Amino acid sequence: MHRRNFIKNSALGTVGILYQPDFFFKENPLLGHGNKRYRLDTKWSQADVAKFPVNDCHEMVQDSKGRIILLTNETKNNVLIYDKAGKLLTSWGNEYPGAHGLTLFNENGTEVLFICDNNRHQVIKTTLDGKVLLTLDYPKETGEYSKAEEYVPTETAIAPNGDIYVADGYGKDFIIRYNSSGRYLNHFGGRGTEAKHLLNAHGICIDQRNQQQPCLIITSRQQNAFKRYSFEGVYMDTIPLPGAWVCRPVIKGDYLYAAVLQTNTQQGKQSGFVTILDKNHKVVSNLGGSAPHYADHKLEEMYQTIKYFQYPHDVCVDDEENLYVAQWNSGKVYPYKLTPVI
Amino acid sequence: MNKPLSFFLFVFSACLCNAQMPVQLAPPLLKYETVFFKHTTKVELKFAEAGTQIRYTLNNQTPTAKDQVYHQSIQISKSFTTLKAVVFGNGFLPSETVAVTFIKDGLKVKSVTQTEPAERFRGDGLNTLIDNKGGLSAINAGTWLGYQRDSVALNIVMERKQSVKSVLINCLMDQGSWVFLPLEIKVYVFDERQQSFQLAGEQILPATEQVTGAGCQPILVGLSKKITAEKIKIIIKGIQSIPEWHQGKGQPGWIFIDEIKLY
Repeated sequence: MHRRNFIKNSALGTVGILYQPDFFFKENPLLGHGNKRYRLDTKWSQADVAKFPVNDCHEMVQDSKGRIILLTNETKNNVLIYDKAGKLLTSWGNEYPGAHGLTLFNENGTEVLFICDNNRHQVIKTTLDGKVLLTLDYPKETGEYSKAEEYVPTETAIAPNGDIYVADGYGKDFIIRYNSSGRYLNHFGGRGTEAKHLLNAHGICIDQRNQQQPCLIITSRQQNAFKRYSFEGVYMDTIPLPGAWVCRPVIKGDYLYAAVLQTNTQQGKQSGFVTILDKNHKVVSNLGGSAPHYADHKLEEMYQTIKYFQYPHDVCVDDEENLYVAQWNSGKVYPYKLTPVI
Repeated sequence: MNKPLSFFLFVFSACLCNAQMPVQLAPPLLKYETVFFKHTTKVELKFAEAGTQIRYTLNNQTPTAKDQVYHQSIQISKSFTTLKAVVFGNGFLPSETVAVTFIKDGLKVKSVTQTEPAERFRGDGLNTLIDNKGGLSAINAGTWLGYQRDSVALNIVMERKQSVKSVLINCLMDQGSWVFLPLEIKVYVFDERQQSFQLAGEQILPATEQVTGAGCQPILVGLSKKITAEKIKIIIKGIQSIPEWHQGKGQPGWIFIDEIKLY
């Protein structure tokens, strides 16, 4: 080919790509803002739906072997374990009808799981292959509960020293702290009108990004906020996320990721998205949501813009910075995978 | 066409549709402090997504791709103006329509006393129902009085005796949160000669149908004859047994009200 013709052809080729209609990329659309943008893959899971169905996909974690562990309230297989490419490796669990919260903790070199079961009103600690190690019943020691039904735990977080924090996010919104063997230590949060109180304490995590001041970050979902507390339960401050029904905070590297179940103005209408905050608690990207905007250092109300998600319930960030999004009440869909775009 | 071939084409076209099914845009955010106003009010629309436009109408029609594009805040001065908005964008399905109706102030009311609301939903003070604040569809907006009981009574005293043609009650419907529209609203006027309240108008609402999401519903009750009144009593009856299709079936529903107007 003559060189001049070659240049002409390649230039045309470039123009051709630029003028591709929008739907060209719809199969794997690009989501997010700034340097936190991802390509969406809705067909990540290769599980056979006839053999390994899911109901609500509530939460996901990654173990040290790189496997992605999904918790669903489908009692045919409460736990599905995948590789990062979406191949189903194994499954277990038939006894968690209210499977909701899933936390992984490395206990002196051995990884263990903590499952919150809404229906059983219990927190269950298991091995990675499902052997039960410890069961925490409703916390009568607190003096706040008269029967198990009042206690509907949604999430756990485990401190570096092994202390277990349970968020009673669908019950009385208390955070109950136990030592590593399950002995009650103290409780805090609960409902009320002060800043230290919580409303729908749906999630909790340990934040060690600031080594000088590690803390707990706790969801107050109906208040559209995260709240920070010391490990002893002393309230520190609030991170307002106007409009967003945030689920649990998930920290990876400098960033905090959270599924937003729905937005305030579009409740009950599959209005979820995924939000990402930097280490200064500033929203930097919304996947399927509005471009974050601060006026006078105040975050403006956030909302869904494109209906890529229905009701996202959790985000798992793997060792390669890929995201996996599990959804509640969204037509029994398997999790989606999002790959970062550099 | 033989059966296997038509089946194959059906599956093939179904796959094709699935692959190319455009994703839907979400509706725009409506930003207003309250839908109730004295003289004029302003509403803003927001949608921070590149390559999209908000189009809107003020004539109660569903916006199409030919209607005006939103650029700046809209001033409303006429009562019962309904703003409808839709987002359009290349390669996406247009959003659902969002709508809000703005309501102008009515006759001067001196005071309203009402049945004690539930602890969690006490509105924003004694004058919640006449403070021109509300019309926000979130149950936790702080402007709603919430009741889980079969009936709610409102006692209204006007500034002076005057002619009243209709009564408006702004209600919330949010079935996901067990909030339903009332089943019946009755308006009574105090008759000085008889020293008792007399029925002056009523509104029976249609049976409860399943609706997703939350929205405000202003309910206007026309009074049967020309009425001059100073004291008015309104009795609102709620849903005592939630229908079969709802997770709360058989239990009493909630009534939420945030404002009343007399015209």
